[in-house]
Amino acid sequence: MQKQSTGYLFVLPALMVLGMLIAYPVAYTGLLSVTDNAGNYVGLDNFRRVLSARATPTAFWNTLWWVFGSIVLQVVLGVLTAILLNQNFRGRAIVRSVTLVPWVVPGIVAATTWAWMLHTEFGIINYMLTAPALIDEPVGWLTNGRTVMPVMIAINIWKMFPFVAIMVLAGLQAISDDLYEAARIDGASFWEEVLYVMLPQVRTVIVAVTLLLVIWALNHITIIYAITRGGPANRTLITPIQIFRTAFESVQFGQAAALSVMFFAVAIVVVFIYIRTLASNPEETR
Amino acid sequence: MNKLPTLKRPGLPGWLILSGSVLLVLVCLFPFWWMVLSSVKTLRELYTVPPIWWPAAPTWENYRTVLFDSNIPRYFLNSIIISVGSTGLALVLAIFASYGFARFNFKGKPLLQSFVLVGQLLPTAAIIVPLFVTLRVLNLVNTYWGLILVYMIITLPLSVWMLTSYFKNIPVELEEAAIIDGASRLECLFRITLPLSLPGLASVMVYAFVTTWNEFIFALCFATDSSVKTLPIGLAEFSTEFNTDWGAVMAASVVMTLPIAILFLSMQRLFVGGLTAGATKG
Repeated sequence: MQKQSTGYLFVLPALMVLGMLIAYPVAYTGLLSVTDNAGNYVGLDNFRRVLSARATPTAFWNTLWWVFGSIVLQVVLGVLTAILLNQNFRGRAIVRSVTLVPWVVPGIVAATTWAWMLHTEFGIINYMLTAPALIDEPVGWLTNGRTVMPVMIAINIWKMFPFVAIMVLAGLQAISDDLYEAARIDGASFWEEVLYVMLPQVRTVIVAVTLLLVIWALNHITIIYAITRGGPANRTLITPIQIFRTAFESVQFGQAAALSVMFFAVAIVVVFIYIRTLASNPEETR
Repeated sequence: MNKLPTLKRPGLPGWLILSGSVLLVLVCLFPFWWMVLSSVKTLRELYTVPPIWWPAAPTWENYRTVLFDSNIPRYFLNSIIISVGSTGLALVLAIFASYGFARFNFKGKPLLQSFVLVGQLLPTAAIIVPLFVTLRVLNLVNTYWGLILVYMIITLPLSVWMLTSYFKNIPVELEEAAIIDGASRLECLFRITLPLSLPGLASVMVYAFVTTWNEFIFALCFATDSSVKTLPIGLAEFSTEFNTDWGAVMAASVVMTLPIAILFLSMQRLFVGGLTAGATKG
């Protein structure tokens, strides 16, 4: 038998690439955050400037609202869908495939299609709501400061709930029949089964998926960027978009890096919780 | 699969299943239905109130615009090159790394494995700035190689993660027998483990391809020249200019969705299987 250290040779190339692409940029962000565009050391100036910018707190609250608004309904709708798809009925396979479609489709396609459907004058959504007189006059969904963020969240929910559904469904199908039988012998109704058999059994899956969704919501700026670019009047400006704009529109790399460092710190906390949660109860569900 | 006739499980009432399924299908598919419908409408039919549900005279004009009068075909080609390149490169690196993780016990392995996982979870927005600076120094901004490399961040960690769990499920005894017969580790990998992992490799490939094909933010930052721009960027350009030609945008969306739809429909089992295995096993 060969030495175990041969393993290093196998994992080395991939780790080098990842190190170059992840570890190095992360370290470099730290360096950039304390220098100006010419590369001079400026201490915490960038942080001070970013924190005093009016857009920063706006973006922070928007991000929070975006993440939590999205996740709650993604998880609720996803779990309900999974329970539905866990039933035995004809055509289930087709419904399951169809459910995945919003998730598989490119985010940019979802964004443009919804933007067209939400068009103020010619959009199908306004027509659907005005025709049966649910609302009096067409709403400018994407230009009205009050509706734009909820609409973005709705699109994000539509895009991501299938992922929750499919993961939870996999968890539900791994539950052993014995548990259901026991519940049945005790005379449990369907909703009691959901409450006392299904949900506890897929709890870890739900927790893992939720944390993953938090990270993704922090990451995914496609929908918002493609539809509003953060507007109108910064109503949909979230921190990742602010970083992008600071770096590539105002060309303030130092400030963008300072913002990245703070954003990064928050994300790391979430990632840390995620890993701890996964590590603390592995394989419990199976 | 052949269950004994045991106690019947209580289920949802039929009407609820039916209405739930219908609602689900409508919500999931309506936007695409509307996208396809809008892509074959004439200008006049697009901009009318109330909207027209079924175009009287379907037209290919929008597709003609997209395919012959725009940069979309070029972007399509760019997307293919970049997605195939990064998927292939990630796969090669991941095969070796996963084999190392699955078959060897070396010092610091858990640490290295969690480094890979963290890579998967990093907020990409937080590293676009230094990546841009790095690529600029290496003269890789606006090149295929730049995007292919950067996409490793997205594809490599997940590929390693999925393949490692796949390799672990292949009995190690097969390899031990081969090693006794004098085979090297590499021979074991390529003659025994890989041929047995074809479904796993396929699902990794599909997943990596779809993710890079759909990727938006890196492409937006690192590909600003039309010679390397990918489809998502092309589509975003189409729809954010002042006079949005919605018919053409919808046609371009259809063009962009088709490869993914075909790939997904033909390999759905692998896709879903690989995904749930990779994520629930953690």
